[in-house]
Amino acid sequence: MMPAGNLARMVAGNTLRSRRHFVLSAFGIVIGIATFVVFLASTEQVGAVLEKIFPVEQVQVVAPRASLLGKDISKKLDDSIVEKIRSRPEVDRADPTAVVPRMSLAFPAFGRGDFEGNDLKFEVGGFADGIKPEFVNDDDRTRELFKDWDGMKDDPRRQACAPPPRDPQEEVIQSPRARPTDRPADPLAYYNPCPQPDRYYCDEIDRTCHHRVPVVMSPTMIEIYNGQFAKSHGLPIADVDFVRFVTQRGGLNAMRFSVGLGLTTVAGSNASISRRKVRRVEAVLVGISNKAMPIGMTMPIQYIQRWNREFLGDEAATAYSSIIVRLKDRNRIAVFSQWLQDDLDLRLEDSLGEKFATALFVIRLVLVLISLVIIAISSINIAHNFFMQVTERRRELGLLRAVGATQNDVLLVVLGEAALIGLIGGVLGLLVGIGISAAVDWGSLHYLPRFPYKPTSWFHFKWWIVAGGLVCSTGFSVLGGYLPARRASTMEPAQALTQN
Amino acid sequence: MDMVGSARVSDKSPAPIPGPIVRLRDVTKSYGTGAAKTSVLRGVSFDVDRGEFVALVGQSGSGKSTLLNIIGGLDQPDSGEVEVLGVDTVSSTDTRRAQIRNQSIGFVFQAFNLLDHLTVLGNVVLPASFARGTSDVEGRGREALRRVGLSDFAGRRPGELSGGQKQRVAIARALFNAPALLLCDEPTGNLDSETGKEVIDFFRELNAKDGVTLLIVTHERRVSSVARRVIAMRDGMLVETSDEALAAAHGGGPT
Repeated sequence: MMPAGNLARMVAGNTLRSRRHFVLSAFGIVIGIATFVVFLASTEQVGAVLEKIFPVEQVQVVAPRASLLGKDISKKLDDSIVEKIRSRPEVDRADPTAVVPRMSLAFPAFGRGDFEGNDLKFEVGGFADGIKPEFVNDDDRTRELFKDWDGMKDDPRRQACAPPPRDPQEEVIQSPRARPTDRPADPLAYYNPCPQPDRYYCDEIDRTCHHRVPVVMSPTMIEIYNGQFAKSHGLPIADVDFVRFVTQRGGLNAMRFSVGLGLTTVAGSNASISRRKVRRVEAVLVGISNKAMPIGMTMPIQYIQRWNREFLGDEAATAYSSIIVRLKDRNRIAVFSQWLQDDLDLRLEDSLGEKFATALFVIRLVLVLISLVIIAISSINIAHNFFMQVTERRRELGLLRAVGATQNDVLLVVLGEAALIGLIGGVLGLLVGIGISAAVDWGSLHYLPRFPYKPTSWFHFKWWIVAGGLVCSTGFSVLGGYLPARRASTMEPAQALTQN
Repeated sequence: MDMVGSARVSDKSPAPIPGPIVRLRDVTKSYGTGAAKTSVLRGVSFDVDRGEFVALVGQSGSGKSTLLNIIGGLDQPDSGEVEVLGVDTVSSTDTRRAQIRNQSIGFVFQAFNLLDHLTVLGNVVLPASFARGTSDVEGRGREALRRVGLSDFAGRRPGELSGGQKQRVAIARALFNAPALLLCDEPTGNLDSETGKEVIDFFRELNAKDGVTLLIVTHERRVSSVARRVIAMRDGMLVETSDEALAAAHGGGPT
């Protein structure tokens, strides 16, 4: 066999000398690879966005609802079940965040906040839950602030204070402001008397300063805020860097809000909750976390347990609403699901994310098949062009045999030319694909309205997409060139040399 | 034409082979099948010894080019024995035949067979592309061009050359690997008489001074007249080499 360096030089020289042949052969490959990478990169990005909305790597264990004679007899999700799940082989026991029990706020609550001069009222009951603080460690701020502050009895800032007066007109008052430092204080106004007023407030029950209840929200909430709420209320768009966004708004002080426990925005109060129990606490949004419930807010589970016990009794303080489980391998989901059903009488919550993932997989499959068909057609085109080339170059190929080329040498020369055309076509196809994606992104940025989870780019060119594109272009090109190369190599040199 | 120098293009000398450099026994070859089958060679046998200058003459269709191709390993006989440089080229592999063509045989064709996309030097050193462990390829290529008087044409393209210059480039290519055997198929067929004479003189000098064995297929009497031996062919068979037979074999072609 001829030396590799000589082969490479000959292949490069032959490929680049006939521009017509190159363009005719590479055109289809360029189009095919461009569609291939664009389709894959777009479905990859859409998949990533969907996974952000519906994390498909984890499943949610819930107890089926059951009642008998009006009494709830549903299976109770408690710590013993958490331990059983943790001991399953499908779950990574070494990972403490693989099994995360959640507890919902099981009674009405009513939120009220002042954001950029807007009096915001929102339902908290049904839209709040709790998880253990150690599961939320997205950044330094959440690690520092997402704690059960009320559980720390030795907090030195827990000092006596005078709570704000109740307003007979308002069931839940806005969180009082701190005393101003840059202008004279209003002698009639109530100011937050606690130290560090951006974090502490005066509790109306025990008349001491408490740290505000730390709350995290999911990226979904930020997307919804940015995509719909901010625009309709003329509010600023939340930065991707939430800490910077909070700092720009004046720090944590701007993220505080009141929560009326036992109240609801719908009816003003709830008949099942005694009016005596209704009270106001203050909370503060400390960060954004993927661990937060998608629509609503999440706080340390100890707050939820205490409040559920206070308003509904002990049972509500020990039953989890769901258990989030991250499996070692998603392919074992069927085994895990069957075990849940057979041994624990529990089930997995229908995952919208999984349905989307399946739909996306099918769409991706169809798109990849379409692009592969285009590449396959271009491969046939390459075969056709190479057959013509081999016929036109019979005398040249015969001469190569006369000066010492073996059949394999000729085969490799022609296949090498096909491979090089495929590789260059693949690179050009990639560039065209990247150009198309840049144009689509530009159009999306300038002409598509903002909506939740609208990505800054609709494409994600992962390394394996780029590598796959080049492998496909080269592979299909070599495939197309194989039969012409075989014909070239088996040509009788004596006859080839007599061609006119 | 100024073909100069007798120094070998390469220091590489072929290993001494005992016996004839070419040995043919009962070689047959036919093309087509059934009623369309045409016998081109009908039991050809002869030897060519090292250092011989042999002219293979005969009318068109007599089978001489086919015979030359079979000797050069560019074609395979239907039956018979072919030994070139001691190697049985009928039973040897394609790789072995290619190796012999690359290292020990030079071809000169009537149609020159130069590659237009390569320079003159690129054409000359083409055989080096298929050989391992070659050294000073460019130097050897330039030396081959010097021998055929085209030192100043290394960077030109074949399209810029005259017919005679093209054939000299083809000869330089054939000599690049210092072959023991030079096979020429009508090397003067496309040249005017003056240029053709110069080519023949060069071959004669190559044979006399360097001991290169030459086997030339030709129509032309002036070529066969300088050969030390003439083998005449008619209808796929060797015929006696009397003056009458030679005249018939030349078919009244150029003298």
